[in-house]
Amino acid sequence: MSDIVPDSLKILVAGGFGAGKTTLVAALSEVESLHTEELMTNESVGVDSLDGVENKATTTVALDFGRLTLDERTVVYMFGTPGQPRFSFMWEELAEGALGAVVLADTRRLVDSFEVIDFFERRSVPFIVAVNCFDGYRSHDPADVRIALDLDSDLPVMLCDARERESVKEVMVELVSHVLQLELSGQ
Amino acid sequence: MVEDKETASDTRGRLIRPYFLTRGRTRPSRTDFAMTSQVVATPQPEPVELGPEYQSILQKCAGPVSVAEISSHTHLPLGVLRVLLADLLDQGRIVVYESMWQRERPDTGTLSTILDRLRAL
Ligand SMILES: Nc1nc2c(ncn2[C@@H]2O[C@H](COP(=O)(O)OP(=O)(O)OP(=O)(O)O)[C@@H](O)[C@H]2O)c(=O)[nH]1
Ligand SMILES: [Mg+2]
Repeated sequence: MSDIVPDSLKILVAGGFGAGKTTLVAALSEVESLHTEELMTNESVGVDSLDGVENKATTTVALDFGRLTLDERTVVYMFGTPGQPRFSFMWEELAEGALGAVVLADTRRLVDSFEVIDFFERRSVPFIVAVNCFDGYRSHDPADVRIALDLDSDLPVMLCDARERESVKEVMVELVSHVLQLELSGQ
Repeated sequence: MVEDKETASDTRGRLIRPYFLTRGRTRPSRTDFAMTSQVVATPQPEPVELGPEYQSILQKCAGPVSVAEISSHTHLPLGVLRVLLADLLDQGRIVVYESMWQRERPDTGTLSTILDRLRAL
């Protein structure tokens, strides 16, 4: 086993309930079904210790993620971020140090994407929008999604099939290209 | 075979220091054990008696493994895992490296390299 400690990059895959986050991450991950969870109490925000957890109502925030080794010194972790930002302190932690995010939009429930987009904009996490084509590509037009979500013209909006590795790869390439463009233009 | 000169200490990231050395706190914060931070067990001169959770953590990180993956493999929730990792760190049984990109964005050269690697997958 190599003892080189890789530096890791974090990419978030966000989107509403059932948007295809788990599917997308699994399609590109080199390891199957990585999964972590955190206990959330009523007073969870800011609480790091376990003291007294048993006395409080707890919910579990589940998180699935994938790994992609780019070279021996560089690993990418893709985290499917669950639910809506306002319900979870996990989002704050995930956003910290994130290279960027993919907002996975479901055209049947575009409204789910607003809060997520707002969250990333406020924290200056670069993101792109990928429309998951559940029922074929023809029924979706990125231009419509751009208008509906009120997105800037320089923000990439693309179609994808979350089940297809090549399609998901294109999504990641698009995201990193976007991050690079932002960096080059000094934003 | 060419001897690999790289060692575990050869990383561009930040080394997390034991608690008793840093702030005297007894409990870890989320930022000390970021999900992408890499944990490596330090070789122990002789076998030690430890609780089963500690043992299972150490077994998973004979080589560098991320905090998130340890959580996945041990089925320990992140908060619990972080408390146990803090203990192991204080006992000198693990070393923890935070990714250099947890606190700063990759530069354009690095981003270009990442893009090339992604395209080549
Ligand atoms: N036809 C089709 N089905 C898909 C596609 N992507 C995901 N699905 C299916 O849609 C369902 C939901 O996908 P998930 O990947 O679980 O979605 P999720 O965003 O992780 O869902 P939650 O974690 O429950 O919010 C699953 O049954 C998938 O198999 C797609 O591109 N096309
Ligand atoms: Mg899911």
